Amino acid sequence: MTTTPPPRVRMTGISKRYGPITTLSDVSLTLAPGEVLGLVGDNGAGKSTLSKILSGAVIPDAGTIEIDGETVAFTSPADARARRVEMVYQDLALCDTVDVAGNLFLGREPRRRVAGLPLLDKPRMHGDARAMLDRLGIVIPDTRQKVETLSGGQRQSIAIGRAASFDPLVLIMDEPTAALAVAEVEAVLDLIRRVSAAGVGVILITHRLQDLFLVCDRIQVMYEGRNVAERRIEDTSIAEIVDLIVGHKFEARSAGHSREQTS
Amino acid sequence: MTGETPSSPQAAPARLHAAAPPRHRQATVADRLIANGSVVSIAVFFLVVCLLFSVGTDAFLTRPNLLNVLRQSAPLLIAAAAMTFVITTGGIDLSIGSVLALVSALSAALLQFGVPWPLVILLMLACGGLIGAIQGYFIAYEGIPAFIVTLAGLSIVRGTALLVTGGYSIPIDSGSPFVVIGRAWVFGVPLPALIAVTMLVIAFVVFNETRFGRYVTGIGANREAVRRAGVDVRITTLAVYVISGMAAALAGIILAGRLGSGSSNAGQGFELEVIAAVVLGGTSLFGGRGTIVGTILGALTVAVLANGLILAHMSPFLTPIVTGFIILVAIWLNFRLFRGSLRSR
Repeated sequence: MTTTPPPRVRMTGISKRYGPITTLSDVSLTLAPGEVLGLVGDNGAGKSTLSKILSGAVIPDAGTIEIDGETVAFTSPADARARRVEMVYQDLALCDTVDVAGNLFLGREPRRRVAGLPLLDKPRMHGDARAMLDRLGIVIPDTRQKVETLSGGQRQSIAIGRAASFDPLVLIMDEPTAALAVAEVEAVLDLIRRVSAAGVGVILITHRLQDLFLVCDRIQVMYEGRNVAERRIEDTSIAEIVDLIVGHKFEARSAGHSREQTS
Repeated sequence: MTGETPSSPQAAPARLHAAAPPRHRQATVADRLIANGSVVSIAVFFLVVCLLFSVGTDAFLTRPNLLNVLRQSAPLLIAAAAMTFVITTGGIDLSIGSVLALVSALSAALLQFGVPWPLVILLMLACGGLIGAIQGYFIAYEGIPAFIVTLAGLSIVRGTALLVTGGYSIPIDSGSPFVVIGRAWVFGVPLPALIAVTMLVIAFVVFNETRFGRYVTGIGANREAVRRAGVDVRITTLAVYVISGMAAALAGIILAGRLGSGSSNAGQGFELEVIAAVVLGGTSLFGGRGTIVGTILGALTVAVLANGLILAHMSPFLTPIVTGFIILVAIWLNFRLFRGSLRSR
C-alpha cells in the first residue's frame, strides 16, 4: 500500500429515502487505490443502493461523493463512467449470441475504412481481445466463441474484463462469485486480485463470506441502511461478520464450521 | 484439504485425478457446419428441390427459366433481406405487403398525373421509409410490441391504398421508363434481379461487417446490455423498420414496373411469404440470431418451389402447402439435428 492522502473514493453522509422507507441513513464509505473492500449486509441492508449511488444509477437525497479529493455529483451512469467508475452488474449484461471479442468491444468496436465505408476491424478486434484476456489471465481458448457456449465463470470473467478494459479507478462488482463452480470462483478471485494489483479500487458485494477473506483488505458491514462496522480482514473472522450482519449473536450452522477454521 | 489455500495457477498442485485429453479442441469443419446448422439445412433443402425439378422437368434447368425465377423473386428477396434485420432485433413487420400495395398503387397514380418517374421513385422510397419510421417510433420509443404496431400498420396502409384507388388497378403506360425497372434486361440479366443482388450484397455487408449490424444482433440477444454499452438502441430499432419500409417500397416499385399497373390488392399475404423465407433460412423469431445467406436460400427455395411445381404441371395451389411443410420440417431438423447450436432458443 502506498501513502494515500485523499482516498480514491470518499462517500460521506449519504442518505436515500424511497417514500416511507429510509434505505440509507448517513452512510459513509472510503476506498484507497488498489484496495479491495468487501461490502456485506443482509438483503435490504442498502449495499446495492449504495453501490448504485457510486455508479450513478441512483441519485442520493443527501451526502457527498469525492473522488481523489474532488467532489463529484453523478446524475447518470455515464457521469460515473466519465469519472472512471465502472460497475459489473449481477446479470452481467452480455449478448449471448455475439462472440467473446464482440462482447468485450460492444459499443466501441474498432473500425477500418474499406472503400470509404466504416466496417468492423475484426482482425484487430480479435487481436486486442486476445491481448486483453491474456493480460488479465482469463482462460478462453477462442475469442470467436459465442458467449452462450461459455461457463458461468468465463462469462463473469468477460464481464469483469470488459469493465477493467475501460481503465477504471473504481470497479464495483455485485455478486461476482454467486452460482459458480469451485475452480471458477478461484479464477474470478484471482482476476479480482490482479485488477486490484494494477491499482484499481475494488468494491465487492457478496453473500459468500469465505470469498471476502480471500481477496478483501477490509470489510464494511451494513445493517438496515446504516454502517454498523468496519473491520480489517486480519482483525476479524467469519463468525464475527455473521454476527454483525444479522445484528446479534448468531449460532448458524453455516458459520460454525468456519469459526473453527478462522479463529 | 488442498482447496483451503488460495491456490495460484503457477503453483500447479499435485493432481488428484487421472489426466484426461483436453476438453477444448480447435473447431473442425463438422463443428462449423453444426454451428451454422440452420444455414446448412436450408442449403440442403434448396439443393434437393433444385435437383428434383432438374430431373423431373425439362424446362427447369435452363438459363431463361432460372433468370425468370430470379426476376420474379426479386421483390421477395429484397423484402426478406430487410425483414432479416427486423426479426433479428426480436421484432416483426407485418405491414410490408400493405406498403408494397400502397406504393404500387400510388406510383401508378402519380405517373398518371404526369409526375416524372425518377421523382416518383424517390417519393415512393421516402413514403415507405416514413411509414417504417412512424411504426418504428411506436415500437422503439413507446414500447408497444412490434406485432401490434405493424398489424395496425397492415390494416391502415392497405386501407389507404384501397381508398386511393377505389379498389381498381391503375395502368402504367408501357412506354414509360418506369416499367423498365421491372422489365429491362441488362447484360443478359433481368434488371430486377440485378437490383435484388445489389441489395443482398449491401444487406450482407451491413449485417455482418458494421456496428449497426452488430447492434441489431445485440439488441435481439440482450437489449439492456447494448443500451448499457452506450448504444442508442431506440434509434437503431427505429432504423430497422425504416429499412423494412423502404425495402417494401422498392419491392412495390419493381412489381408495379413489371406488371405495368398498380393495384391496391397487390401483395396479399406478401408479409407472410417474406417471414416464411426468413424463418426458413434459420433466423430466430426470438431475435439475436440472423443470417442473410440463410434468408437468400430460404427465399430462393420458396421461389423455386413455385416455379418448379408449375413446370411439373402440378397445381400452383400446391406451393403454399409444400412451403408450409418445408418450413415445419426444416425447423424440426434444426431442433433435432443441430440442437447444440440452438440452445435455449
